[in-house]
Amino acid sequence: MTGGLLVRDSALITGRYLRALRLTPGRLIYPLVQPLVLLVLFVSVFGNLAASRHAAAGAYRQFLIPGIMIQNAALTAPTTGLSLLRDAGSGLADRFRSLPMPRAAVLLGRLGSDTIIYAVQAVLLLGAALLLGFRIGPASEPQVAGLARAAGIVAAAVAFGLAISVLSTWLALLIGDAETAERVLYFPAIALAFVSSAFAPVGDLAGWMRPIARVNPVTAAADLIRALATGAAPAWPLLLLACWVVGLAAVPGDLAVRRWQSPS
Amino acid sequence: MPDSGSAGAPLAIDATGVVKSFGRVIALAGVDLAVPAGTMTALLGPNGAGKTTLVRIVTTLTRADRGRVSVFSIDVAAAPAEVRRRIGLTGQFAGLDEGLTGRDNLVLIGRLAGLPRGQARDRAAELAARLGVADAADRVVRTYSGGMRRRLDLAASLMTRPPLLVLDEPTTGLDPASRQHLWDALAELRAAGTTMLLTTQYLEEADRFADLVHVLDHGVVVASGTPAQLKAKVGGQVVEVWLAEDGAGRVDAVAAARALAHRLALPPGEVHAEPGSARISVLADRAPAGPADRVPAGPADRVPAGPADRVPAGPADRVPAGPADRVPAGPAGGAAGGDISVLLDVAAALRAEHIAVADLGLRQPSLDEVFLALTEPGPGA
Repeated sequence: MTGGLLVRDSALITGRYLRALRLTPGRLIYPLVQPLVLLVLFVSVFGNLAASRHAAAGAYRQFLIPGIMIQNAALTAPTTGLSLLRDAGSGLADRFRSLPMPRAAVLLGRLGSDTIIYAVQAVLLLGAALLLGFRIGPASEPQVAGLARAAGIVAAAVAFGLAISVLSTWLALLIGDAETAERVLYFPAIALAFVSSAFAPVGDLAGWMRPIARVNPVTAAADLIRALATGAAPAWPLLLLACWVVGLAAVPGDLAVRRWQSPS
Repeated sequence: MPDSGSAGAPLAIDATGVVKSFGRVIALAGVDLAVPAGTMTALLGPNGAGKTTLVRIVTTLTRADRGRVSVFSIDVAAAPAEVRRRIGLTGQFAGLDEGLTGRDNLVLIGRLAGLPRGQARDRAAELAARLGVADAADRVVRTYSGGMRRRLDLAASLMTRPPLLVLDEPTTGLDPASRQHLWDALAELRAAGTTMLLTTQYLEEADRFADLVHVLDHGVVVASGTPAQLKAKVGGQVVEVWLAEDGAGRVDAVAAARALAHRLALPPGEVHAEPGSARISVLADRAPAGPADRVPAGPADRVPAGPADRVPAGPADRVPAGPADRVPAGPAGGAAGGDISVLLDVAAALRAEHIAVADLGLRQPSLDEVFLALTEPGPGA
């Protein structure tokens, strides 16, 4: 009964966010348009920079694009926490808490609409990447396999994004103040991408970065996408990403729900 | 389910010994509150008195440290979900999604509260019409005025026809017309039998609309009763003194009030003057044979609160910013027995203190004065 209620009410909350996006489409610029611009800028600047040093510009582009996809997911994640924090400050949270609904539904419902945002973002980026020369799978493979790989790439980006969204939610609720949270949450999202394999192979990073970069969830997700795109074995990045997703859902996820629920 | 209230009078809210602290700040220090079903009960108190904390405990948003609170005999701590099925909350901040239309908001709240889609839509349309937001129902809430937001917020609280409606300062910050609109809607609800608990800063609202008033100060209920009982408790009469300018064209009402209080041997809190004004009000003559020290709050003692026993209050749009801007309510009625000895005492004191007077009058106290007399003055008061 409670489970059914949780699913129904989460779906209602997801519908709420999607409806708000339809009424205010400008809110889609940040998660959907800006990533495309960043993709083009990064590929144009760093792709050519690499080309002037090494012969294999195409190889670097192939390496860079998954990193940019994951960087953009990381930059989108703070919006989850910030939107819940805004609700909390507006009186809407009290309204929800005074209704006979499972309180976790508010968070799960938001993650529902985030799933759609991350998926659309990944599909758009992948489409643009293909136009920029990104290749998925060996040319000899049947088309179905290529589609399966593309679906896997989107799934990896979505899973990564949701995990970081959960983390951002917990941090935002912990910080409590929307303005502070806005300033605090974006910085780690930017830094996280640099201390990872997003833009350069871990072996090329400064010595102190390498231990962090190896276990960074950005590395896991970017390497997984690379493996799916090139046809390499995805086992290790897949395992690492799975650990992050499960770990973040279990610990910060649980803490976030508790924090949201707790009657002060 | 048996009622925990007294003999046959069902209580919508029954709170006993409620204590709540936030760190070292004691918000509620043992509050008892009984709200009989079908009444409108007002919680008055200065900022920080604990009104909102009490409201949040009743609506399951906050847990009490000690004490028991039940809503329709259901314990709020033990069965919060059951309580939530029976309450509507209109908080201090509108609980609306700014990015959705008014109708979207109502339907969403209705569905989250368990209404099927069709019913939620019908009810949303009905409430939007009743609260005067039907024309704006398909506009995004971000574009609403403050008054429309409040009305939509009230509509959202009413989606499930809750038998208990809790309103935390529902009219704060609204213009006079919007307040009137909201009060019309609340009056309709009361007529339909909805129990209401509200906090308000506007004392004349409580005076006009509430059946029972509880005055909260420093986390305890300092007085309870009907507005008429509270006025009687404080004492029947107020002497209004309008000072004349002295030879240099100056008026120092504050100094005069101090001298007057001293001369009359009254606590300074009962002789009010706003700095810069020319008026002093003396809340005096605490009736010796008046009601007991504490007016009982039980429903059995409740005086029926028809309009007949209400003292007409000022215009609805008046912000009670202190006595200075109050228009004297005319000569005192017969309630205080028409005894003018207070007036004579004040007149004698004025003469003894050589205070020049332009005008002098006797009237009944307003709820503002009751409030000021019952609550501890803050710094600078």
